Amino acid sequence: MSRKKSPAFRVVYTLAIICFVAFSLGPILWSFIMSITPQSEMLANSTNFFPKNPTFQNYIKLIADSDQQGLLFRKGLVNSIKAAFLSLLLGIPFAVSFAYPLARIKFKGVKLIRDILLFTMAIPVFATIIPLYRLFVSLQLLDNLFGLVLVYITSFLPLTVWLLISYFDTLPRELEEAAYVDGCSRFGTMVRIILPISYPIIFAASLIVFLTTWNQFQIPLILAPSHATKPIAVVASEFVTKITVDYGLMNAGGILALIPPSIVAIVFRKFLITGIVGGATKG
Amino acid sequence: MKKKRNVLPYAMLIPGSVLMIALVFYPIIVTFYYSLQHMKLTAPQDNRFVGLQNYQKILSDSSFWYSLQNSMVILVVVVVLTAVVGLAIALLLNVDSKLNGVLTAIAIIPWALPPIVNGVMWRWIFHPSFGFLNRLLLRLDLVEQPVQWLNSRWSIMLIASLVVAWRNIPFCAVVTLSSLQAIPRQIYESAVIDGSGTWQTFKHITLPLLVPSFGIVLTSTSINAINVFDEIVSLSGYGDMSKNLMIDAYLRTFSFLDYGVGSALTYIIMILAGILGLIYIRNVYREVSYL
Repeated sequence: MSRKKSPAFRVVYTLAIICFVAFSLGPILWSFIMSITPQSEMLANSTNFFPKNPTFQNYIKLIADSDQQGLLFRKGLVNSIKAAFLSLLLGIPFAVSFAYPLARIKFKGVKLIRDILLFTMAIPVFATIIPLYRLFVSLQLLDNLFGLVLVYITSFLPLTVWLLISYFDTLPRELEEAAYVDGCSRFGTMVRIILPISYPIIFAASLIVFLTTWNQFQIPLILAPSHATKPIAVVASEFVTKITVDYGLMNAGGILALIPPSIVAIVFRKFLITGIVGGATKG
Repeated sequence: MKKKRNVLPYAMLIPGSVLMIALVFYPIIVTFYYSLQHMKLTAPQDNRFVGLQNYQKILSDSSFWYSLQNSMVILVVVVVLTAVVGLAIALLLNVDSKLNGVLTAIAIIPWALPPIVNGVMWRWIFHPSFGFLNRLLLRLDLVEQPVQWLNSRWSIMLIASLVVAWRNIPFCAVVTLSSLQAIPRQIYESAVIDGSGTWQTFKHITLPLLVPSFGIVLTSTSINAINVFDEIVSLSGYGDMSKNLMIDAYLRTFSFLDYGVGSALTYIIMILAGILGLIYIRNVYREVSYL
């Protein structure tokens, strides 16, 4: 707004910013403080906010120690990284291949398929998980990373396809018509003309795929019962419920699990916002 | 040439469709079939078709109504919090400032994090002895004894709603901000010429123009709120006191191994979420017009 900012406005604005930052980052900061507080100080029942002798021991334990907690944690981390890459590798081609015809080619049933896609976003995980569990048991896919990732893909496919469709919809038809005149095939046009100019939205979709995979909890809770495929989010939650009673260690585990998604959010915020906004509008 | 045109779109739809049919639509139908069966893993010889009995059983069980109440409280509180705080943050980010880049990054962080870990972190805000809030209150002498925040039903529900809202607010703020910035400047200018004050302009021009995107944001938020699971698990475990519909369905299915009743309950949740889903679709298709 172009009007001059009065001193009163500045005070209100500054206060509001402080509240907003405290609300958004406060829990993360507090968890971090707890993670660097030595066990002895934590149990001393003080009302101090900051530890007198901060220590990174908990982080070292998780990253480098070869005891059970460290091993489980690192296994979870590796599982999540593997799952994220496999999701991207398989999920993005699936999504692009699904979205392109729905956006650019007129054929019967387009509207119906679009509606079904939107509708599937409302389906809770548990509506499919019992049959999936039994299917996985009979196919011996439990604790199989590939099987797990296929289920993850179904959880983000509707949103990513919707994102891509709403972007493809905005591209002018002349782009393709010119390519056809030049003798380009439909498939060639998609690969050489449409996909290159769609990189912002494909990248945004990839980020969302990464985050959704990283943040999975309910699906692996059922379909990844052993530590062979258990992702970091599930391991971090088990730190609270069964693995340890060490509060500092629990918080260190949580903070480490937050680092990859936080980096993605900070570095690629522009693309993510394109994705968030694009997913919520018709385009 | 013509023939090729007709085959290609269907061919490209095959991989995604096969996956969705095999891992979503087929299981959903099977779940419905289970919901009509007497099917307990503790008595595997006793599987039989019972029609709608499982549904009747659920609807006449006070445990269901208890969980439904909890789910509804979460739904209402999450939607109200998300709407109010999301709009406030959008307005805040709409002010021209050098800080906007940093502030936007801060705004979307909660949205990007694993919900299960969010619950774990917030637990340490409300923990009776190690929690930030109690330390603050004790320091300021506002309380004499540590408050047991996570010990009663309604306070757990409110805290769970706060944590769920925490991850939904960024989505609301970002979408609202983008619709704020899409409102043409001329509309504001002509309002000022007509003698409209700041509050009047906000109430009569800005808010109505935000309604369509708000509709989308809030329906998608309510779908998330009905399906809350992770945050409750990490805040208070699978306890009976704090269970919502999803936890109830999980317990019946995977703790009591009653697949029949568990499936029926999941179907009830899906119907509730499905109604919200239909509203969502209608909102998405509604056009935004500034004329």
